[in-house]
Amino acid sequence: MIQHTFGLLTRPSSQWQTIADLPEKSLNTLAIYPVVLAILPAVAWFYGTSRVGWSVGDGGDVIKLTVESARLISILFYAAMLGCVAVIGYFIHWMAHTYGAASSITKGIVITSLAATPLFLSGAVGFYPLLWLDMLIGVAAVSWAVYLLYLGIPIVMGIPQERGFLFSSAVMAIALVILICLMVGSVILWDFGAAPAFTD
Amino acid sequence: MSELNAALEHPTYNYKVVRQFAIMTVVWGIVGMLVGVLIAAQLAWPALNFDLPWTSFGRLRPLHTNAVIFAFGGCALFATSYYVVQRTCQTGLVSDKLAAFTFWGWQLVIVAAAITLPLGLTTSKEYAELEWPIDILIAVVWVSYAIVFFGTIMKRKADHIYVANWFFGAFIIAVAVLHIINSLAIPVGPTKSYSIYAGTVDAMVQWWYGHNAVGFFLTAGFLGMMYYFVPKQAERPVYSYRLSIVHFWALVAVYIWAGPHHLHYTALPDWAQSLGMVMSIILLAPSWGGMINGMMTLSGAWDKLRTDPILRFLVVSLSFYGMSTFEGPMMSIKTVNALSHYTDWTIGHVHSGALGWVAMISIGCIYHLIPILFGKERMYSTDLINVHFWMSTIGTVLYIVSMWVNGILQGLMWRAYNQDGTLTYSFVESVSASYPGYVVRVLGGGIFFAGMLVMAYNVYMTTRKDEALAPAAAAPNAA
Repeated sequence: MIQHTFGLLTRPSSQWQTIADLPEKSLNTLAIYPVVLAILPAVAWFYGTSRVGWSVGDGGDVIKLTVESARLISILFYAAMLGCVAVIGYFIHWMAHTYGAASSITKGIVITSLAATPLFLSGAVGFYPLLWLDMLIGVAAVSWAVYLLYLGIPIVMGIPQERGFLFSSAVMAIALVILICLMVGSVILWDFGAAPAFTD
Repeated sequence: MSELNAALEHPTYNYKVVRQFAIMTVVWGIVGMLVGVLIAAQLAWPALNFDLPWTSFGRLRPLHTNAVIFAFGGCALFATSYYVVQRTCQTGLVSDKLAAFTFWGWQLVIVAAAITLPLGLTTSKEYAELEWPIDILIAVVWVSYAIVFFGTIMKRKADHIYVANWFFGAFIIAVAVLHIINSLAIPVGPTKSYSIYAGTVDAMVQWWYGHNAVGFFLTAGFLGMMYYFVPKQAERPVYSYRLSIVHFWALVAVYIWAGPHHLHYTALPDWAQSLGMVMSIILLAPSWGGMINGMMTLSGAWDKLRTDPILRFLVVSLSFYGMSTFEGPMMSIKTVNALSHYTDWTIGHVHSGALGWVAMISIGCIYHLIPILFGKERMYSTDLINVHFWMSTIGTVLYIVSMWVNGILQGLMWRAYNQDGTLTYSFVESVSASYPGYVVRVLGGGIFFAGMLVMAYNVYMTTRKDEALAPAAAAPNAA
């Protein structure tokens, strides 16, 4: 599993090809990939928000969450990551037929989580919550993930590049919709009990 | 332009007015977006206000919105609607003189806006800032536009009124009604007037207008473009004609009710706010009807993507349309709006529609139109269209993402409180935390703007090569 992570970062094209050639069974094992990788951002942000803290502006006080609050939010964060991967994966499978590719829900989930590798890894910035730095790394990770998606879809699905471009664009649209659901979900949850509690 | 293009005149159709509006779309796009980049930069670096009243943010911001919506978007709508109504009705415009009047009248409105807004002459109604003399001019031009458009439909040679014309027609009628009712005012001098509405009613009328400016000017009109140019460019029929008619009526019937979501938690009666929210959520269905229809029409043309970057503009514009019409209903939910309102999230949402949908589809259509209007087989450089496509996409994404981050950040910071009940952050801390996002926004907007310059060069070269060509190369009938 770990070789996929590094492979996708160092030689993405051939790594996607390797993944495309995997037998059905190994593909199914890969479904636990997101379950493992999503631990990193969740733990990082738990630690960063409850132990390290952050400050705003020049020389502001350090702000931290209480441990209980950070724990609850990190668990929700972990669940949200897996939920998003599962939903986007399902949509990839659902649209595959339209774009002339054979697929399964597992395959969709595997593609989603592998393409999201840079996002999972960049979650480690949570250990040190510094806004501008986290944003820079975040933008780089998002761009990288989008690149991996556009590269990977035609290879793993075994369809021509132009068709893959349309497919990937449709996946991006779905991902954006999911992202909005995530933002809206956070806001609503904030109102219904998961609001962060800050230390004094 | 007339003597230069005398050889290009189509025997039946009036291409001259289409050509004028198409060129001005590019020109006003550049002007409006340049002002946008400047005011974005002012938010990151306030010294760019130059301490002058005319260049302060508060005066330039309405100039930006008016320039991109009514000058850039308006010219694109005039150009495409005049073109589409002639082609699909198989007849020339009902009056070339009146069409020419709409062109010069509209340019006069834009110039008047560009002069009065920096001078601080404003009604202070958002997207309807222009003072009453200009409002009257707009009304006259708009009614002339309606006469030209519907007159042309009435003398059509084809039996059927193609669906694109339905959308253009709804847009023209609705904007006339909205503009006239919202702009009713009592003048107290040539540059000053008071709205005839008072208090909450004024706010409600204003946002009934404001949201339907989005709904009809920036959505219905552009869906009209989509229904002609997407099938045309993909060389495929519309995926479902029935869906297009159903979502047309649904869109027209529902959009008009959504305005109150701009006034959540204000003095507007609570039931009106809730009604606005419910209608906004219902609006998702007709909006997505249009997106699905466009996407399914395009998805059969995937083999053309390699050679045709114009198709890419259309695909991506529909994706952004789908995304922003999903985001809108979500943000109209009161719980969400309590956080998102007054933050940069709103600005990001508007621009995912404005840059991603409106500008991208206009650019795609203009790239389709320019060669036809100037008697060329294709644009001067397909590679430059491709470059423009990537600049627009990257610029839009940077813009939206930075505003999302800022919006959520501001919303969460403003409502965060400590266990002893005191606020965790002061307001200025949220401004300070927004700084990186503002810088990224300038970058994204700047890239999008630079893409427009690439387009202008490409358009200029396409039209210029024409002088070298023999006059006989005119009028390829790509209908």
